[in-house]
Amino acid sequence: MEQRKEVNGEAIAKSMLVLSKIKVPVIAIVIGEGSSGGALALGVGNKVLMLENAIYSILSPEGYASILWKDASRTKEAAEKMKLTAKDLYDLKIIDKIIKEPTGDEEESFKKVSKSLKREITKIIDEMKSKTPEEIVEERYQKFRNMGEYRKID
Amino acid sequence: MIVDKIKKREPTAKKMQNQVDIQVGKWLKCDKCKEILYKETVRENESICPNCGAYFRMHINKRLESIIDKDTYKRFDLEIDTTNPLGLEDYPKKIKGLREKTGIKEAVSCGTGKINGEEVVICVMDSGFLMGSMGVVVGEKITYAIEKAIEKKLPLIIFSVSGGARMQEGIISLMQMAKTTAAISKLNDAGLLYISVLTDPTYGGVTASFASIADIILAEPGAMIGFAGQRVIKQTIGEELPEGFQTAEFLLEHGFIDKIVERKELKNTLYKLIKYHVN
Repeated sequence: MEQRKEVNGEAIAKSMLVLSKIKVPVIAIVIGEGSSGGALALGVGNKVLMLENAIYSILSPEGYASILWKDASRTKEAAEKMKLTAKDLYDLKIIDKIIKEPTGDEEESFKKVSKSLKREITKIIDEMKSKTPEEIVEERYQKFRNMGEYRKID
Repeated sequence: MIVDKIKKREPTAKKMQNQVDIQVGKWLKCDKCKEILYKETVRENESICPNCGAYFRMHINKRLESIIDKDTYKRFDLEIDTTNPLGLEDYPKKIKGLREKTGIKEAVSCGTGKINGEEVVICVMDSGFLMGSMGVVVGEKITYAIEKAIEKKLPLIIFSVSGGARMQEGIISLMQMAKTTAAISKLNDAGLLYISVLTDPTYGGVTASFASIADIILAEPGAMIGFAGQRVIKQTIGEELPEGFQTAEFLLEHGFIDKIVERKELKNTLYKLIKYHVN
């Protein structure tokens, strides 16, 4: 605990570094509220999946409103602006697949979600089987390398 | 992400006002010794208070001047701009204003240059540009620089000063942490030297990515370095923090930093480290 308090930023960086180097497929799944470096530390995957109603963001909407607008009461507005839903993140190409969460009976829904997740994970592993370790690492590199659009200044 | 916390910290807030003074007025006050100083004298003294030795934050150009041999810096030809991914109304205006005010285009400048004749790839961040925060432009420029170091087989040096990931670009900024870290992973595989120099303050997503995973981590004396700000940590864990928490000296003692180097010694120290590893 003492150590972690001091440099938990380093732990996040090292976790991402290991996930960048590892020669087997990495599948990251956002299942609830994922935010900031802690989520990303486990998020450097060849494929990133996300449950339909999960959120994934740079910071909690509360923290975002407080930092950007110096007004924590603007949480709702922050949540709308931040593009943190599965749909938004799919459009931004941050995630690869949305796992549907059927409404209704909770237990039934959980079973269905688990089943889709299992199917998706198996499918990805099958797809990856034909790739060499180098290809797996390079694909993951290129995926994150290309994140974020910019435009040239003339 | 931590920008706000840093600004709220009393001494730093004053220091920031001082820095604005460096750019607009002729005089500035040293936060530490309260002496009124002629700004040109401070500039010529590597942005160090000639009276008490306190460090002011350095403009990119001053830092490059201090570290890189005269006329050897070649900035990479990568003039890029953010697309404002969250569509925030004020953000493009803010960037435009900062460009005019600071004379730099973004919070980092990257290129090649020589240190006592040794060629390196160097990236220098600037706290005057949205607190040195990392959005897509900063992330792309740093990644590009790392890839250039690999291509040219040169040592890499990054001077960090940052509040963290840039809030205005949301999750895209967060992803720059993964992008830059993955590039450092490639640099490791190529067996090249990477020295990270932490300056006051280095926080958030920059601490939690490329700045922390160098072969050698140096810091300027008294620099504040961390992930979350002190106030947030205190509130979260409900405990008092140890004395000197998040200072370079504290982190040296706990093994995170390899050496604290005085500003005026940085060039020679970097040169020695490069000579030792490269030849």
